[in-house]
Amino acid sequence: MYLSHLEAIHFRNLSGAIDFSPGLNVIHGANAQGKTNWLEAVYLLGTTKSFKTAHPREAIQHQAEEAILRGTVISGHLSRDIQLLLTRTSKQTFVNGKREVITRYLGILDAIAFTADEMEVVRGGPDNRRRFVDRGLVSTLPSYLGTLAEYNRVLKQKNSLLRSASDADDPTRFFPMLEPWNDQLVALGSEIHVARVGYVEKLKAALQPQLFQNESITVRYKSSLEGKGDLGDYPKLMRERLEHHLKNEIAIGYALVGPHRDDVEILCDGYDISRFGSSGQQRSALLILDLAQMVIYHQILEDYPVFIVDDIDAELDRNRIEILLDTLEGSSQVFISTSKRAIAQHYRERAQTIEIANGKVAAKVITN
Amino acid sequence: MLDYAEPVTKLIDEFKRLPGVGHKSAQRLAFYLLKATPEEADRLIEAIREVKEKITFCSICNNLTDVDPCRYCDNPTRDHTMICVVEEPYNLVAIEKTREYHGLYHVLHGALSPIRGIGPDELKIRSLIERLRPQDDAPEVEEVILATNPNTEGEATANYLSRLLKPLGVRVTRIGMGLPVGSDLEYADEVTMHKALTNRHVM
Ligand SMILES: [Zn+2]
Repeated sequence: MYLSHLEAIHFRNLSGAIDFSPGLNVIHGANAQGKTNWLEAVYLLGTTKSFKTAHPREAIQHQAEEAILRGTVISGHLSRDIQLLLTRTSKQTFVNGKREVITRYLGILDAIAFTADEMEVVRGGPDNRRRFVDRGLVSTLPSYLGTLAEYNRVLKQKNSLLRSASDADDPTRFFPMLEPWNDQLVALGSEIHVARVGYVEKLKAALQPQLFQNESITVRYKSSLEGKGDLGDYPKLMRERLEHHLKNEIAIGYALVGPHRDDVEILCDGYDISRFGSSGQQRSALLILDLAQMVIYHQILEDYPVFIVDDIDAELDRNRIEILLDTLEGSSQVFISTSKRAIAQHYRERAQTIEIANGKVAAKVITN
Repeated sequence: MLDYAEPVTKLIDEFKRLPGVGHKSAQRLAFYLLKATPEEADRLIEAIREVKEKITFCSICNNLTDVDPCRYCDNPTRDHTMICVVEEPYNLVAIEKTREYHGLYHVLHGALSPIRGIGPDELKIRSLIERLRPQDDAPEVEEVILATNPNTEGEATANYLSRLLKPLGVRVTRIGMGLPVGSDLEYADEVTMHKALTNRHVM
């Protein structure tokens, strides 16, 4: 799949439209001209999520009521127009001019973004790594999104009940009220556990462990129930742990047992990279993981998501950029941004370079 | 300063309290009524007054009714050995539409939701247990069908009720889950609802 055309209306400082190449697109320009905003627009149009903000409505221009992103996506012989309408209170998705539910909209333009924030996957807390795996699963197994949403909803209800119980004089009367929520947590939690373990196994198999350096990268799903019993019978184990922690959960006022406490270990020559890795090793590891995610995507859907690298020269050295672009060449549509004219010049031969000034295209060079 | 004269703003504010009505719809309804004839307005006022005066909750099943006990509870031709438990009165209407179910009902008026402060005490659960006690003049209840919504809160409610009711010696069943997960029975059509009832399983 690739994005052949993108138009932005009342979105940040952008105006006009850009036609993209199916291969490498290099977006360059001085700082604060809108390079990153165009990349954000690509990602947001595809995923309905921004890599810059948790609240995409912030991207609506101040004097406007709504912002529109409109794109044309080509997959094989199929061309589809997709549109994301952002208002101050809602996000609406359209396919070929008609309103479409988000579950059928997602997947038309899948995107993977390598950004400064994304680095949290390799250096931040476990929640970032769980999200990384969950994103990969959702793009290849859409029903997983429903399972995850249900699990989080049950968890929220249970936590609310646990808070009341921890404040109550007689917590024992909450025991029977907790059971219905625990039953659902076990059913949904087991599904999530199995899906995540399976995905991480696939990631491990798809990794090119030494693509960027001599040290070898590998991954392992680390269940929070590890060492507590037989993970092979997860529902039974989870139920045991829930019983074991019932009083602790009430005392502390939130849920202690389940896959929302799991982690994914990313190891560099056997060491936990989030604790012991250099920032260069962490960057390499994240790229390796992103590329593995593309391989899995391709194995299942026989297509590639688009790949986005914001501010590429700030994040990666020349050597890594070269390896990355060589790896992606011929498979995925790639969008990179840079403030360095020299880098844009360097890729003139193999890319479409687009210069952005004041939010719109100032100059475009098409090769091939 | 108010956007409109005070009585208009007041009307708009009242409409906005209604579920599913936002500012724009409230405004539209208010302006419709401003243009309506006095007779049209009176009809609406009368309808609201009547529903508030005449409709109450059935003292047995908690359904909406204008006579107490309601027409289901009071009907000797219905099967008094079965009780179908629903969350809201409109869920009952959806089941009635199938014309396949001839037992009695029990309306909980909600589902368990700790986030919204709804626990067992906030639902009509105690009166359900009362109904399962053997009574001299009535046949014993043999089956309770749990027809709460197939979403997180409805599942938790069904699960809670089944643990509570089974020790009382009654057969407890759950409607079949051919319904999409996370859905509301309010939107289930007759065919889907019929299937859900026939595919019920023992909990
Ligand atoms: Zn009644």
